[in-house]
Amino acid sequence: MQDNILRKGLVSLIGLLFLLPLQSIAQDLSAREIMEKLEENRRATSNSALSRMQLSTCKFGVREGKITCAERPRVKSLESVGKGYGLDLKDTRSVAILLDPPAERGIGMLSFSYDEAARDNETWLYLSALGRVKRLASGSSDDETEPGSLFGSEFTTEDQDTGKLDEYEINVLEETLESGREVWKIETIPNAERARQSRYSRTVLYIDKERFVELRVEMYDQYGKEIKRMLGARVELMNDIWVARSTTIMNLVTNRLSNMAFLEMHTGIDVPDEFLTQRTLTDAAFRETELEKLRAQID
Amino acid sequence: MEKIGFLVTISLLIVLNPSNAQDEVLVLDDVQFDGDFTFDDDLFGDAFDESSSANTNSWLDDFTIKISQQFSGQINNHGVEIGPHFSIPREAELETNRLGANIRYQNAFAPGWLLQASAQIRVYLNDDYQYRAEGNSVDIESRGNEFFLQRSFDQHSIKLGRQTVVWGETSGNSVLDVINTTEFRDFNIIDIEDARLNQWMLVWDYFGKDSNFSSFVNLYPEFNPAAVRGSPFFFEPEFNLTDYDRDNSMLFEVGTQWRKSFEGSDISFMAAYLYENQLRYEDPTTLMGDSVAETNDFFLLGFSANRAIGKLLLNFDLAYSHDVLADSFNFPGTASLANPINLKKDQIGTSIGFEYAISNEQSVSLGIQAQMLLDEDKGLLPGQSLINDGVFGSWLVRYSNTLMNSDLVISSTLQGDLAANSLLVLLGADYTISDNWAVSGQIINITSNDESPLLFFAEDVRLSATLTYSF
Repeated sequence: MQDNILRKGLVSLIGLLFLLPLQSIAQDLSAREIMEKLEENRRATSNSALSRMQLSTCKFGVREGKITCAERPRVKSLESVGKGYGLDLKDTRSVAILLDPPAERGIGMLSFSYDEAARDNETWLYLSALGRVKRLASGSSDDETEPGSLFGSEFTTEDQDTGKLDEYEINVLEETLESGREVWKIETIPNAERARQSRYSRTVLYIDKERFVELRVEMYDQYGKEIKRMLGARVELMNDIWVARSTTIMNLVTNRLSNMAFLEMHTGIDVPDEFLTQRTLTDAAFRETELEKLRAQID
Repeated sequence: MEKIGFLVTISLLIVLNPSNAQDEVLVLDDVQFDGDFTFDDDLFGDAFDESSSANTNSWLDDFTIKISQQFSGQINNHGVEIGPHFSIPREAELETNRLGANIRYQNAFAPGWLLQASAQIRVYLNDDYQYRAEGNSVDIESRGNEFFLQRSFDQHSIKLGRQTVVWGETSGNSVLDVINTTEFRDFNIIDIEDARLNQWMLVWDYFGKDSNFSSFVNLYPEFNPAAVRGSPFFFEPEFNLTDYDRDNSMLFEVGTQWRKSFEGSDISFMAAYLYENQLRYEDPTTLMGDSVAETNDFFLLGFSANRAIGKLLLNFDLAYSHDVLADSFNFPGTASLANPINLKKDQIGTSIGFEYAISNEQSVSLGIQAQMLLDEDKGLLPGQSLINDGVFGSWLVRYSNTLMNSDLVISSTLQGDLAANSLLVLLGADYTISDNWAVSGQIINITSNDESPLLFFAEDVRLSATLTYSF
C-alpha cells in the first residue's frame, strides 16, 4: 500500500511543484486568460527544477478561533528533481527521494508523466528492503482514475491540476482582497464529462493580481458544500518566481490537514537525462554525485 | 501472554500520550468554513527554521537506527496428530521476547564513492526460545548484514562486499529469486525480503543508453543456515547438522542479467552458475558423529517481464534450471528431514502474478509459483519416488488498506501450496504513532493436512506485537 501511496504521490508532487510558482504581471485579463497565464507560467518553470520540501499532516481542530493541529503532525521531507520533455515540455520526468522520517529514509521514486491522455504514466519504486527496482501501476494520465494522494497527505492530483481549461467554465466573480492582497476571485466549473471524473462541482480561486499566486482555493462537492480549502502563505520571490512557500489544505470531510513547505526550490537547473533514469534509484553513489553537481549549479 | 498484554498496554499509553496532542483543541465533527475560523499561520513555521540549519551535515546523519521490542507466542492449546494414536501437544507459550537494534549506515564520502553497511543486534530475554535454549540465560546475538564499497563512474558501477542480488519481478515467491540465501528462523518473518542474507560479492552494473547489464561474482557462496535450536522450525536431527567443509573445494557463483525498459513494460534475461542455497545432509558413513553436508551446483537461465495497464501490473518470471537435485525440500529449516535420492534433474519453473490498486488506499496482489522436474521418473529405482512430483509450488495473496493518511495500515496475507495441503493466514496492523514510534501486531493461523510439512504447525495460532523506535 505504501507503494500505492508513493506512486500517486510523486505524480501529484510534480504537478504541485510546477503549479505553485507563478510569475507574471497583472493585466486586464479575462478569466480564461488569467487561467491560461497560470498554465504558461507553470510550463515555463517546469523545465528543470530541484526542490526540497516538507510535508506535514495532522488531524485539526479549533483553538481560540483558529484552525490548528489536534495532534503532533506527521512530517515527511523529501528532495525532488524534475524536468520537462516532449512537445511544449508537457511531459515530465522526475525523481523524488524521501529524507525523513527515519523509517522511510532512502525510499526513491522515478516517474514519467505523460500529458497525452492515452499514455499511462510510469513509476518505479526502490526500497532497500525490496532489493530491486519495482515498476508500479501508475494509472492513466487521463484522470479516469481516482485522484492520487501525495505521500498519504491531503494533497491530491486534482487539487494541483489546473490544466484542460476547455473542460471548464471559468468566471471572474469579483476583484477583492485576500490576506491584504488584491486578488481575482475566479470560479471554475467542470463540464459534464469532466465532472464525472472530479470530486468537485465547483472551485473558487483567489489569485494574487500582481504575483499570480493562489492565496486561497475553495473546493465544493456536488451538493455545493465546501469540502476542502487550500491556503497559500509565505509568498516570497524564489529564483525570480513568486512562490507560496507554505501551502495548507484542509479536508472538511476527514478533519485532517496537510501543509507543504517549500524549503528550497530552484528552477533552470541543467538536469542531465541520465539522472532521470532507474540508475538514480539503485546507484546511490551516482545519485549523490549528480545531486552535488545539481546543488553546485545553485551555489 | 502476559508480556504481550504488557506491550499492548505500553503501546496504548504512548498512543494516548498527552504529548502527542495539542492542549485544549476542539475537534469538530462537521466544520463549516463560513469565515469564522482563521488559520494559525505559525503552525508550520518551524519548517523554515529547520531549513536554515538543514545544510549543517553531521556524521550522525549517515546512520539510521531502529530499535524494537518484540513479543510473540503460540496461543492455541491443542495437539497435532502426526500418526494413528500419536499426537504432539502444542501448548500456548511465549516464543519470542527480544529487544533488537538494526543499524544502517550510508555515506557517499567522495564523488562517485559510497560506503554502506548494516547490522543487527538481538537480545533474547526471558522466555524467548533462544533464552531457553541457552539454559535460561539472556543471550545476545549480533550479525553483519550489508557491508560494501561502491564506485560509480561514467556508465559503470562496481560494488564490492556483502550485499544481495535480487532477480525476478514477482514479489514474495519468484522462481528467479534464488541467488541469496535465506533464513526463516521463526514465523515472525514471512516476507522473503526480510529473510534474505547478504553474501560477499563483486557486482558490476553497466548502464547503457537503452538497456542495462548487471553481473555478479560470488567468491564465497554461503548456504541457508540450519534452524536455531529451540525455534519453531527446529527438529532434533539424528546427526548434527554441520557447515559445508570447504577445505578441498573452490566454490564460486557467477551470473549476469540484461534489462531493458519499454513504455509500460520492463524485460530481463539472465543466466547464472549457482549452488543450491539449501545444503543436502547425508548420514555419516559410520553412522556416528556429524552428518555430511553436500553442495549441488546448477545452471540457471531466466526471463522476467512486467506489464502495467492502468492500475493493473502483471508480472511474469520463467526459470530453467539444469542439474538441480530432485530431492530438494523447500520448506525452510527442515531440509534434514528429506530423504535424499541424490538425483540430478532439469527443472522448469514460473511465477506469475498481478498487483491491482483498487484505490489510493487499497491494493491486492496475487502470485503463483509453479515448478516441474523434467523427466521426473528417469533414474528412479523401483519403489522410489520424488518428494516433489508433477507440478508443485505455492501461491500468495496479499491485501492492504491504508487509513488515516497512511498512519494505519491493515493487511492480510494468504499463503498456500498448489496441492492445497496447507494454508497460512496472516492478519496484520501497523500503526505509526509518531515520526519515530510505530507499533505493529500480527495474528497468524496455520492449517495443514498430513501431506505438508506444515502439519507440525497445524492449528497453531500465533500472536505477535512489536514496538519500534526509529531515528
